[in-house]
Amino acid sequence: MIRSAPTSPMPPGATPSAMRAAWGKWRQRLRWEPERKTLGETQLFLLLAVIIGLFSGLAVVLFRITIDWTRTGVFGSALTPPATRILLVPTLGGLVVACLVIKLFPRARGSGVNQTKAAVYVYDGFIPFNTVIGKFVTCALAIGTGQSLGPEDPSLQMGAGIASALGRRLRLSREKVRLIAPVGAAAGLAAAFNAPISAVLFVIEEVIGKWTAGVLGAIVLAAVSSVVTARWFLGEQPLFRIPEYHLVHPPELLAYAALGVIAGISSLVMVKLIAYARPRLKALPRWSQYFQPAAAGLLIGVIGLRFPQVMGAGYDFMDQAMHDQFTWQILGLLAAFKILSTSLSFISGTPGGMFAPTLFIGAMLGGAVGGVERHFFPWLTGSVGAYALVGMGTLFAAFLRVPMTSVFMVLEVSGNYSIILPVMISNTIAYLISRQYQQTSLFDLLARQDGMDLPSMEERREEVTVHVEDAMRVYQGAALKIEDPLSVALARTDASSEGFVLVEDATGKWYGITREELRRQAAPLREGATLRSVLPQEPLPYLHPDQLLAEALRRLGDWPLLPVVNRADFRKLEGVVGLPDILGAYRPTIP
Amino acid sequence: MEPDRPCPLCGRTIPWGETECPLCSEHHGYLWSLRRDTFLLVIFALLILMFVITGFVVRSYAARERRLAQDWNSRGEMELRAGHAAAALADFRNALSHARDNALYQLRLAQALASTGQFQQARNYLLNLREREPGNGPVNLELARLAVREHSIPEAVQYFHDAVYCEWDGDPMVRRRAVRLELVKFLLDSDQKAPARAELIGVAGNLPPDAELHTQVGALLMQAGGYDDALRLFRQALAAEPRSAPALAGAGECYFHAGQYAQAEHYLNRASQQDPHLTQAAAMRDTARAVLDLDPFIRRLGEQERAWRTKQAFNLAVARLEACAARRGIDVEAPGGDELQTLYTEAHAVQPHVRESTLQHDPELLSNIMDLVFKIERTASQGCGEPQGLDQALLLIAQQQEGGRP
Repeated sequence: MIRSAPTSPMPPGATPSAMRAAWGKWRQRLRWEPERKTLGETQLFLLLAVIIGLFSGLAVVLFRITIDWTRTGVFGSALTPPATRILLVPTLGGLVVACLVIKLFPRARGSGVNQTKAAVYVYDGFIPFNTVIGKFVTCALAIGTGQSLGPEDPSLQMGAGIASALGRRLRLSREKVRLIAPVGAAAGLAAAFNAPISAVLFVIEEVIGKWTAGVLGAIVLAAVSSVVTARWFLGEQPLFRIPEYHLVHPPELLAYAALGVIAGISSLVMVKLIAYARPRLKALPRWSQYFQPAAAGLLIGVIGLRFPQVMGAGYDFMDQAMHDQFTWQILGLLAAFKILSTSLSFISGTPGGMFAPTLFIGAMLGGAVGGVERHFFPWLTGSVGAYALVGMGTLFAAFLRVPMTSVFMVLEVSGNYSIILPVMISNTIAYLISRQYQQTSLFDLLARQDGMDLPSMEERREEVTVHVEDAMRVYQGAALKIEDPLSVALARTDASSEGFVLVEDATGKWYGITREELRRQAAPLREGATLRSVLPQEPLPYLHPDQLLAEALRRLGDWPLLPVVNRADFRKLEGVVGLPDILGAYRPTIP
Repeated sequence: MEPDRPCPLCGRTIPWGETECPLCSEHHGYLWSLRRDTFLLVIFALLILMFVITGFVVRSYAARERRLAQDWNSRGEMELRAGHAAAALADFRNALSHARDNALYQLRLAQALASTGQFQQARNYLLNLREREPGNGPVNLELARLAVREHSIPEAVQYFHDAVYCEWDGDPMVRRRAVRLELVKFLLDSDQKAPARAELIGVAGNLPPDAELHTQVGALLMQAGGYDDALRLFRQALAAEPRSAPALAGAGECYFHAGQYAQAEHYLNRASQQDPHLTQAAAMRDTARAVLDLDPFIRRLGEQERAWRTKQAFNLAVARLEACAARRGIDVEAPGGDELQTLYTEAHAVQPHVRESTLQHDPELLSNIMDLVFKIERTASQGCGEPQGLDQALLLIAQQQEGGRP
């Protein structure tokens, strides 16, 4: 374990031998002590979370700069490059990226979220460091040369890869190594988004699937330290300059509801397109994989001749959309072409993320809806930028199926709590439409196309849980008091059909004994002895009706029955539950 | 996809794409052989190294971005100056893509957007800047200009006022005065003379000793109808620069509008001498001279001269009446109900009495004749447009006699 730092390791004017002694003292204090392994691992885990956050922050900073350098290097510094470059650069870039992916970095292909999940659930937290390098190089090249993908998903995976490498090298326990990848994922995503809360929520919502106190602290620490690092180098400003928002009139919320419907449908179109085309392209001969990203790049270049905004991550143009720099017709076209170009990039196997394109499409759709509303109902409309902002969150909720993260992302990015109403309305509608017509979420779909059955967090959230009250039954016998005479107890037990006798004491504790054991124990005792003299010392574990049935199974142990008591009055017996009752309750829910 | 294989040593799954168990194979590396505390120190050292490298990269990146942004901005400003607003727009957008939060580039972009008629987009950028810096003078001024283009007077006035009281780089007094003068010009163009006058009086109170500035503000005050204040400023300007033609012309015009034609003639004459291109001043001077030559009510005139002037005025008025009637196709000699015909009949009736000898001895007749002259001139100006030359002079005399200023 790591102890706190010594207060005075080196006195001034120390001799070499004194220095050696001080160094030894430091080493002694830093040394991991096996006898305190549990505590040490926990502390080391938290320290490591901070270190992972710092490394991830640095990696993301360098990644973003590399993307920008690549872009400026190949396209020039203007937002709209010359036509020849628009056509040639993504095509040639796609070819180079394909060669790198096939020859050097095969694991750079695919979704970083799914690879992180696979590390957690399949590979004991293992993500090869080669993947980090591969993601960095290939994604920077792909996004920089105009493929319609974003840097967030690769950042997430780079963070997870760094975390995995550090965790393994520090010889953490198997459980901790498994958990360290999501910690790194949160750090990478937080730095890429410059939004720690959204990153933490995303990892919990999509990767881990549950709030675990043990890992939550580490995730938060990693996310915060990575964001602090990124801000240190890149500045405090958010990804977008956020427009002013205020609800002009309550009927304006109808427009946000319409935005939810449009975003829901758009997300369906995109998911269906990917679901249909991706496996078909993957099934083509292996040599064709060298040319697929290039072909996608060429098609994107053709689109880019008229709409260069669809190339790359497109943050500058999202910012412009948020500040009303496009007409609603242009915004609508940009959304449509971005759906097409992102799908092309993704299905061709070009490495890169879907987060930024999702935000781009959402912003354009939102801006278009806002523009239409302003055109036809100018007295109802607030800022078009607010629609663009809400649109981002809405498509995020529908396409990536992370409703909680999407709401908090908009709040965190905008810093404006009053926008929550339209965000919630729009996100909920889009999410419900997406769920209704596309049962499997994008990440699960991609995992299944890749031959893995990773746990679906969405399905996990929807799982039916069975509670004690679903299994408990009425206790057939009469509950006895601990001070009851044995003769009375035996008589009442004989009259009952229950083979296990429940006995309560004055403090609300419950004891249990089988009828046979009661008879056997009672035989040698004198007349007038009470139940106390034959009962075991330890009271029975008890349950409450609202507890999970799995908990009942855990507590049951070798007892034939457990009492289910009222939470407000432990002496009030609500029922009993035994192993047959538990199995009986599970049976109907097992598909 | 190839299936995952279990590791024969540890039993864990070997991920697809790996030839051997990653966890077992790592045990052979040098780093794996390090103790945990030693490895932690290695990590810290690596972290410091990464910070240094990243710092260097970021610094070089930021410098490059700054340079690119400056280049695009300079290009945009050149395009904007050359009147190529569309090209400037693209340049400023490029500049902002390298320095997104630079307020100056955003302001320039908004100016370019406004120049290309994209008012809403320009307004959004400016409002965003204003939200960030409510006290930014140039931003408020641009918003005011945008409101001017959209003919929104109250909004423009509000932004102009905000701009006046905002922070300005350089010499704030000069910038504020310039903003105020721009506001005044806008108000005058919008025919809001009273508020324009109020603004100008405020400006006049804080003017530095600069003849040109006094003349400029005086000219605006004159446009706003503040002749007395304008005259004061022109005189201050003349005290500093007695030969300033614009100040002389301005003072002359003020005197002219005040009905003091002798002083007006004096100043306007000097202005014309100083600058022969001041045609308006010369025309005004001629009118003033005509007034002085025709007015029979000027004090200290001899009776003969007064009578002569009355006769001249009468003849001019009758000629104007006939010309106006002819222009309108009215036969003044025929009987009818038109006012011109009535006035002609009246003039025809008194014409035999309009003799110098008669007028010299009959001041009442002189007065009646002049009343008729004024009536004819006023009616003719209503029916046939503003008079010119001597007829204008007669109308000015009429207005002066009625106590009203032109």
